[in-house]
Amino acid sequence: MTEVSTISGGKPMPLGSGFALSKGFVTIVASTIALLILCYIFAPSAVSAGSLMGSLPFAAVLAIVGLGQMLVVQQGGFDLSVPGGVSLAVVIATHTANGNDALLINAVAFAFGCAIVAGTLNGLMVAIFKLNAIVATIGMNALLFGAVFAVSGGVPRITTDLLAEIAGGRSFGVPHSVFFALGILALVSFVMKKTVAGRRFEATGANPQMARAVGLRVELYEGTAYVLAQLLYCTAGILIAGITREPTAFQGNSLLLPSVAVVVLAGVSLLGGRGFPISVVIAAFFLNQLSQFALSIGVPYSAQTIVQALALVFGIGVYSINWTGRFKKTNQRSTEEDEHGTQSA
Amino acid sequence: MELNLLKGGVAALALGAACSLGTAASAQDTPSWCGPEEATLALLDGFGGNSWRIVTAEAGRQEAARCPRITEYFYADGQGDTQRAISDINSMAARGVDALVVFGDAGPAVLPALTNAYRSGAVVVPYRVLVGGEAGTNYTRFVGASFVDDGISWGNFIAEQFPDGANILFLSGPAGNSQGLEELEGMRQVLDDSYVFLNPEPFAVTNWDPSLTQQVLSAAIAQHDDIDIIVSDFGPSLVGALPVFENFDRSIPTLVTSDGNSLGCFWTENHENNPDFDLFTIETGTDNVRLAVQWAIAEATGGEAPEAEVFISSPFENSVTGDPNAVQCRDDLPGAIYLSSGVSGDRQAELVGN
Repeated sequence: MTEVSTISGGKPMPLGSGFALSKGFVTIVASTIALLILCYIFAPSAVSAGSLMGSLPFAAVLAIVGLGQMLVVQQGGFDLSVPGGVSLAVVIATHTANGNDALLINAVAFAFGCAIVAGTLNGLMVAIFKLNAIVATIGMNALLFGAVFAVSGGVPRITTDLLAEIAGGRSFGVPHSVFFALGILALVSFVMKKTVAGRRFEATGANPQMARAVGLRVELYEGTAYVLAQLLYCTAGILIAGITREPTAFQGNSLLLPSVAVVVLAGVSLLGGRGFPISVVIAAFFLNQLSQFALSIGVPYSAQTIVQALALVFGIGVYSINWTGRFKKTNQRSTEEDEHGTQSA
Repeated sequence: MELNLLKGGVAALALGAACSLGTAASAQDTPSWCGPEEATLALLDGFGGNSWRIVTAEAGRQEAARCPRITEYFYADGQGDTQRAISDINSMAARGVDALVVFGDAGPAVLPALTNAYRSGAVVVPYRVLVGGEAGTNYTRFVGASFVDDGISWGNFIAEQFPDGANILFLSGPAGNSQGLEELEGMRQVLDDSYVFLNPEPFAVTNWDPSLTQQVLSAAIAQHDDIDIIVSDFGPSLVGALPVFENFDRSIPTLVTSDGNSLGCFWTENHENNPDFDLFTIETGTDNVRLAVQWAIAEATGGEAPEAEVFISSPFENSVTGDPNAVQCRDDLPGAIYLSSGVSGDRQAELVGN
């Protein structure tokens, strides 16, 4: 008999007249609201204005890095060069500018230039030479850290005042980095959902064979994902350089796992396909708030790490296992067995 | 194997200078730990890629240069790679270097290599990081730093400034790191129960990472509105995080930590707007290597043993009493240097590449 299975990641949920929300979006929003309620009850300090002002910039950075990782995951890949890409942007923004506001624009241009080169190389290796994405990007990561040492010698340097104001300042009481994250979210969402190129990008990720059959240049879309991802990591790195007064040369290291976590929590299929930019950004806020919650209730570090790991397991559990399908299948099997039993009796 | 060998330029210079000045002068300047026999010395770093290590390597080089009997000086950087650090130790032993001073970042993983070098007849002095094993069996001598004493120095300052007890937030590096645990032990020796630690036991974990420090501090400030003192064993990593107090319209509290130029300058710029912001620092320990080099040279050249067996960081800055120093800031030099170091600020600036 034929069985109709549901796609766990991107299954739309009908909502009124023709408007549909993805399962990932509904789950992450519900989880975030539940977490905020928990915070209000058990750790009100974690949702105080001062605490949010301190932690939101890091959520914004994670959101931007997560959007980059999402683009790569949508093409069925994985980008492990996040730490190198972010760290290189951080050291270029602090070392090349060297405390001089006038040199900041050169530093930013140089950082984006490096990001384009790194992204293009990743794209070439994965899309054209068909290297395994994990192997190619982990190699690129090592290369990028080589560049980090070449630029900085591993020594941190204090950021310029202008960058601190642009990335770390506030307008209308909201940290600037949040505006950057929202701006990038709007851009990514618009391009992906409302332009021909964006629709093709998703289609290519969902089914490369089909995309090739209808004449799309699959390699181009796959390679572009890596370049755009590096550009986003670079943006995040420059923001970190502004948010943290004296960033270390290894600031990207702590972002690799969370970048994958937010993509998983947002319900993006690791096999490629549809992307959910808004969900990724909400997931970044969720993860950040979760660690603030753990910090505020004063649990030991081991428990904080476990709480975060459980959130990830929860995310994978919700999206990667097809609960409804499994449930139905088991029921079906038992019904079939019953029928067989009746027939043979 | 790729060895990053640097001939000690300073050592050679000192050697040349000593020769040209004649033996009388050099005998007068030669420290007692520098004996009559000639020797070669290598400083082996497990990881050399940050300003603290760069300054430390220079301090080691300067100390070796004080002894004219050191004919050759080598430096190797393990670049954070245990395998490379081990092969550096093996290759130095194979070259017949007489004395090895080793920063064993990888801990007990480098012990077999150290033991082999020791058994082949070299003087082996691991320092600062415990590598396991025993002196006399696996290596010549271990020259540690007393983090308990650091904790005691901090505790004494706290007890002086807050005689009736206080609320303390203690931040250290990675979870369970022995440095933080020893410092806590030192503070507990001095401070009684009227001093309350607000952080989860034994310390708030920051990995010495400025961005994590910033997040940890945000949460702690939101949670406690009565933090009297912040204790941290890596002062400069707080510089990015302290402005968080502004978000809460609160003064930065008293800070008890280790020194760094960026921190000194931060205090200088901000203490007027933050009435509770006092600063007490101890030396950050870039001179620990000098004691290790002295021990290695004494053993290798037949000199007198140095008096100290353990390196103890002295208090460095005290914004309240100015004793032993008022807060130091050289805003013309990079933030990532340590004015407490025996290496001059200008030399440090050259090395870390300003």
